[in-house]
Amino acid sequence: MDNKECIITVELGTNGVRVMAFNLRGESIGSMKGSYPTFHTQPDYSEQDPEQIFITMLYVLKNLLTEVIHPKHYNIVSICFSASMHSVLPIDQNGEPLGNAITWADNRGKREAIELNSSSLGKRIYNATGTPIHPMSPLIKIAWLSRNDRGRFVNTYKFLSIKSYIIQQLTGEYVLDYSLASATGLLNIHKASWEHDALAYAGIKADLLPELISVFASPGKLRKEYQKSLGLHESVKILIGSSDGCLATLGGGVWEEGKATITIEDSGAVRTVGKQVIQDEKQRFFNYLLWENYYVSGGPTNNGGIVFEWFTKQFGDFKGPFDIDHAMENLMREAATVSAGSEGLLFLPYLLGERAPIWNANARGNYFGINIKHEKQHFVRATIEGILYEVYSIGRMLQEHRRIDTLTVNGSFASIPLIAQMLADIFNKPVYTGSNPDSIARGAYLLSAIDLGIYKSLDEAARSIHLPITVKPQSSNHNVYQKYFPIFERLSTKLNEEFEAIANVQQEEYIKH
Amino acid sequence: MNQFALQQGHSHELDMFDHIVEFGLTKNGTIQLESFPISTCDHIRIYYITDGKFEWMINQKHQILYPGDLAVVLPGQELGGSNRYLDIGTFFKLQLKAEVLESMGVIQLGTWSSLTESERITVGRILMTNNISVLKMKEAGDILYEMRSEVLNQEIGYSTRVNVLLDTLLIFIARQSTRQATSRRDFPSTFAFLEQALRKNLAHQWTVEEMAARVGLGTTAFTEKVKTYTGFSPLNYLINIRISEAIKLLKKQDINVTQIALDTGFYSSQHFSTTFKKLTGYTPGEFRKRNIAAK
Repeated sequence: MDNKECIITVELGTNGVRVMAFNLRGESIGSMKGSYPTFHTQPDYSEQDPEQIFITMLYVLKNLLTEVIHPKHYNIVSICFSASMHSVLPIDQNGEPLGNAITWADNRGKREAIELNSSSLGKRIYNATGTPIHPMSPLIKIAWLSRNDRGRFVNTYKFLSIKSYIIQQLTGEYVLDYSLASATGLLNIHKASWEHDALAYAGIKADLLPELISVFASPGKLRKEYQKSLGLHESVKILIGSSDGCLATLGGGVWEEGKATITIEDSGAVRTVGKQVIQDEKQRFFNYLLWENYYVSGGPTNNGGIVFEWFTKQFGDFKGPFDIDHAMENLMREAATVSAGSEGLLFLPYLLGERAPIWNANARGNYFGINIKHEKQHFVRATIEGILYEVYSIGRMLQEHRRIDTLTVNGSFASIPLIAQMLADIFNKPVYTGSNPDSIARGAYLLSAIDLGIYKSLDEAARSIHLPITVKPQSSNHNVYQKYFPIFERLSTKLNEEFEAIANVQQEEYIKH
Repeated sequence: MNQFALQQGHSHELDMFDHIVEFGLTKNGTIQLESFPISTCDHIRIYYITDGKFEWMINQKHQILYPGDLAVVLPGQELGGSNRYLDIGTFFKLQLKAEVLESMGVIQLGTWSSLTESERITVGRILMTNNISVLKMKEAGDILYEMRSEVLNQEIGYSTRVNVLLDTLLIFIARQSTRQATSRRDFPSTFAFLEQALRKNLAHQWTVEEMAARVGLGTTAFTEKVKTYTGFSPLNYLINIRISEAIKLLKKQDINVTQIALDTGFYSSQHFSTTFKKLTGYTPGEFRKRNIAAK
């Protein structure tokens, strides 16, 4: 009978929610998704409606249960959550949201971040919390609210994350897992408790934050009404789970020394796992806690697949309206006809400013080295190479602290065969592409499976992930990339003054229009 | 082509067409100061440039028009030469009677049109909301030339043909204006544009046809794109927004449940109640009570 048991995972992502179901052998038995919008009411603002996220999540969960899971008479054991990092949702005493949730992509705290970053307090906070001082971090967002939105700030009963709000709606409890908390810039990751300096800078006391619990903990039972409307037994365990970044790493099977994972969707990241925090003088890395002393360390880039999508929208050939997938495929084919290095055309991909490794919000895109022989297809390939050089530069920075022998790639952009091959060539390392692209859900499944006793430890769970497909590096290509990369790297830091100047003019002009 | 100028009440050619205020082709060969000052329009005005270059102020925006461009000026909007005179060139001018229902933000075309009522409303709404005054529309030239020969020759069936041509012109204008308002390459931003319109008027009984028309797609393609992009059918996505808004309103104590139902686009409190409960497990009343209890 035990093969009729299943585990549900709920992934609260940047653009939408994905609900998946796994049997206890770890096979996916169903998946549905639903999206919700992001509102940009002002430049730098990025917000989402918590009620719509909740309703969308319920709707998708209910559809998957009633259409796929219940008809097959599965016995649901647990529901495990993952969520995007860094969101902030202030709620009042009655649990009502005070406005929309502020997402990771929100940059309103730019000034606060620059100010704190250059202070010795900033350095202390980074060392304690492991989260780079950046507008993405809830530390900076709450500090911004305390200075610029007093009304909302003083009426706040709790500063929640989106996941905490969803869990509260389902169970009535205000909780946050240590893992997601470690991405707030407010948690001391060495002591696993709120960091006093950070709270003081944000202007809050610990009681304004949700209660901290382990990633394996259950916040409580599902409310009766939801048990009824979803057709779930009260024994179904709600597992709070972790963050998308940590779970993608676990679900990607990257769990020992010498391994790194490259995730590229719209944005991207290179991550490693270790039992030690990376202490970086230049504060370039994040260090997030998954469980006890397992740290996921790495660097994020803003400019992943979204940059290639931008290129496609401008220069791709569209057969029908909105046929972007087809247009992207065609461009990829064109890119493949050009040899590695795009015959000397380089591209800085900083369309959205950049986080790691240069941490410069003012950085902008740039094609460099154009000569009279370059054609459209060179630009296509250079655009992709620029995105990947950027990922490579994060990887090189990580190698100053960690050994990397093999790479695992996941995410919709990185797992395209051409891209995986290019990554192998640029890094000159073998690349595993996971057979299962849903590494976040897989990670959440593994957490539930450990909780059920199917695996004894995170190490054992991660080892269960088979990574059968290997792409081998081609040294001739690597040699070409090695000639161009130093130029790319020098360009990326050489233009700081010009980046600032152009960003300022762009901002002024934007306000005028 | 020779100029012509027909005016309602003066030209017998327009006797059959109550809704056409004015129709003509103007060739302007000289510049006369103050020949085209800025004034407010009472009717829908459509201009199509066949020759020359015109600098106009339309709805307080400076526009330069070249041959093949079509300008639409809606009732209540201002129009005139940028320098208060008419530039040298040739253009068609067509004025149509239309009622603006301010409360609904809709232009109501008359009953002469053979569009269905919901199509008429949608076309009117598109004209009002897209707010695009100048369209690149070569097809309009052919339609206007054909209308001219129908009106002037008055062969058998001409009144039907003229009205059909008018409908065709308005449909093309609505389609082209949607195409210009949304990028055909960027579904996320097009969808955000639609989402904004939905939220602005949640009480409206949106149909899939109307939503599709707003982003310039046919219903089949539209439904498929929305399904891929959001995971929901267009109407189910709309329910998400409706319930999310309803939850916010239910948390405020001062609006009654029936009013919330209507404000968020449910046609009855019964329909609201069933949909709400199916999704959340609570009836709206229970949900509100639970929230008071929390206080």
